Formats: sequence, structure tokens, C-alpha cells
Amino acid sequence: MRFREYFSKMKSSTRGGPPRVSKEEILWSWIGAFLGIAAVAWVSHLFFDGLDMSLMIGSFGASAVLLYGAVRSPLAQPRNLIGGHILSAVIGVLCWKLLSQHLWLAESLAVATSIAVMHATRTLHPPGGATALIAVIGSPEIHQLGFLYVLIPATIGPLILLAVALLVNNIPSSRRYPEFWF
Amino acid sequence: MKQTLPNDHTRYKTDNNSDELELTDDDILGAMQHIPGYLDITTEDFRTIYHLAYRRAFERMFAGITASRLMRSAIEPLRPNMTLDIAARSIADSGYKGLPVVDESGYVIGMLTETDFMKRLKAKNFMDLLLKLLDDSFEFTHRCHETTVNEAMTQPAVLIEQDAGFVEILAAFHRHAGRSMPVVEADGKLLGLLLRKDFIASCQPNELP
Repeated sequence: MRFREYFSKMKSSTRGGPPRVSKEEILWSWIGAFLGIAAVAWVSHLFFDGLDMSLMIGSFGASAVLLYGAVRSPLAQPRNLIGGHILSAVIGVLCWKLLSQHLWLAESLAVATSIAVMHATRTLHPPGGATALIAVIGSPEIHQLGFLYVLIPATIGPLILLAVALLVNNIPSSRRYPEFWF
Repeated sequence: MKQTLPNDHTRYKTDNNSDELELTDDDILGAMQHIPGYLDITTEDFRTIYHLAYRRAFERMFAGITASRLMRSAIEPLRPNMTLDIAARSIADSGYKGLPVVDESGYVIGMLTETDFMKRLKAKNFMDLLLKLLDDSFEFTHRCHETTVNEAMTQPAVLIEQDAGFVEILAAFHRHAGRSMPVVEADGKLLGLLLRKDFIASCQPNELP
């Protein structure tokens, strides 16, 4: 590729992004995210505190952006949400187990591989990259979970977010969820 | 604001002659505002999808249209050495407004139509001719039985190849005002006559993309 062509791609191709959404949309995004994260937190508190486990990981914040803030996005559909988190969690735990002595390698492999696998399985869900990374950098508690991390929190958490999305996103007439299941 | 397109937007234009309507950023952003919720796509990506989808739809709509499928076959062509009075009889009997002229090997060398006769008779159109004929002082000077088809025909005729599709046919009818044109094999041999009305009838306006 010629240099000029290469650098000319760095100029943007289009004028600005999508328009700002209406106030009503902003409100529903807020309500959905609040209820979704609250539900995960409450389930975690009620059922997992006693087991010394937490259901809450940082990547759910990112999932909430998609699920409640970009409802129509293919990245926010159930297949992507559930599939992306589960596959990425498996890859993250594997990378930690095999390469924990080389932390930098485990981290970068976990994220890069989870993106590749999500692409290949049509389950691309950006927060999945965080789920894989968290499995590696984790906390001692997360490392202790081993492959249980795939179930708790990486499957149950997204399932709760999905249930809230189904309930909340279908209330306003302007929203409908999901666009597709699988 | 007029077009605010990237410099390379021409690559999304069709290579054929059909004019795809280009969408500006304002068109797309304006439309997106009618859809509630955040749409996860840039205007440029939307434009790319629009053009590719348009082309697919276009091909789907007009895949079945070829000159050889729409043409009238069993055409009795005229010969260049025929006299105009005989040619006129042939055209009248054919029911068409004109006929192709072919040489002895069947290659199309021209087209003789009602319009060519009008020109010879110095009439602007049929009504003009009628009025002239009704005028007592008018002298019918043209000697049709002494003129050959060769001298009166339009040449070269606008031809269309048998496997030409919608876009090529449309372009050909754009190029001349005739109501029909000869359909030929790749080497120029006459196969049939494509009437403009048959072409238009094959296009269903309510199915247009």
C-alpha cells in the first residue's frame, strides 16, 4: 500500500457520528442501566455474598451501555451478549491458567483471542474483551474461581442483564428488544 | 449544504449507466432522526450498504430483461435496392412503424421508418402531411417508385445486441428517438425487432427499486 493512501485513510470519511438521541431515549437508557446493574448487585448480595463470591465484574458496565443505550445494535443482541461473555471468559481463564507467569502475554492473548473467537462465532460483544481481561488481571478471588468464573459471574450476570433488558426495553413504544435471539 | 462526500465517493457509483441517487450526510442523518434510539452506524457505512443493496435489487429486478427475450422475431426485413413504394407496402403490412434494412448476408445496414418517409415528403409529421395532401395547390413531387430504400433509410441504425440487458436497452433508446430498433447477433446479423412499447411494458413501475 502506498504511503499517501495509507495516511489519507486517517482523515475521517464522514462528517460526525449519528445524531443525539431524544430526551426520552436518554431517560430509558438510564432506567434500563440502573435497573440492570442494580439487579446484578442485588442477586450478588442475596445469593453469593455468603459463598464469598461476587457476581459483579466491570465488563457488565460496558454491556449495560449496549443493552440499554444501543438497543438496536447487533452487538447488543442476546446471542452476542451471552455468547460473547461465555466464550471470552473461557479464553480468559485458559490464558490465566497457562500463562500466569507471563502476565503481559496472558493479558494480551486473552483479549486478542477472545475478539477473534467472538468474530468467528458471530458473537462479537465488546465487553467480552473486558471479561477475558478480568479473568487474567482479576483479583485473588477471581483467580481462585478457576473455570467456575465462566458460570459465576460470566453467564449468570449477563442472563440477569438480559432479563432486565427484555422487561424494560419493551416498555416504551419507541423500543423493541431483541432484534434477534440467535 | 450540498454534497459533503469523501473524495473517493465515486467508487460507489455504478459502473453502468444507471443513475443511482447519491445520499448526502444530511439526508442520512435526517432520516436517522426519524428512528428513535441510537443507531450504531456511520453515514459512510450506510451509504456503502445503500449502494451495494441498490445494485443487488437492481440486478434482481432486471435480471430477466434481455433484448432477445423482448424482441419480436420473424421480421421480414427490407433490402437496400427495393423501391420506396414496395418498402412502404412492406412496412404497412408488417404493422410496425419501420423495418430494418439488411444486405444479402443478413447484416443490418440501416432502418427505414415512417419518419424517413416524412422527411422525403418534407412533412414535419403525419398531421402536416395530411394537411399538405388536402391542400389543392400541393404537388406530390416525390417519386417513390424511383427511389431506393438505400437512399432514404437512416444509417447507421442504432442496434442492440441480443443479450443486452435493461441498462443497455435503456441507453440505446436514449441515444435515438426511434420507436424500435433491430436486435442483432454479436456480428451484426438481424435477429428481430425490439419495440419501445414492449420494453416499457416489461418494466413494472411499482416493482422498481
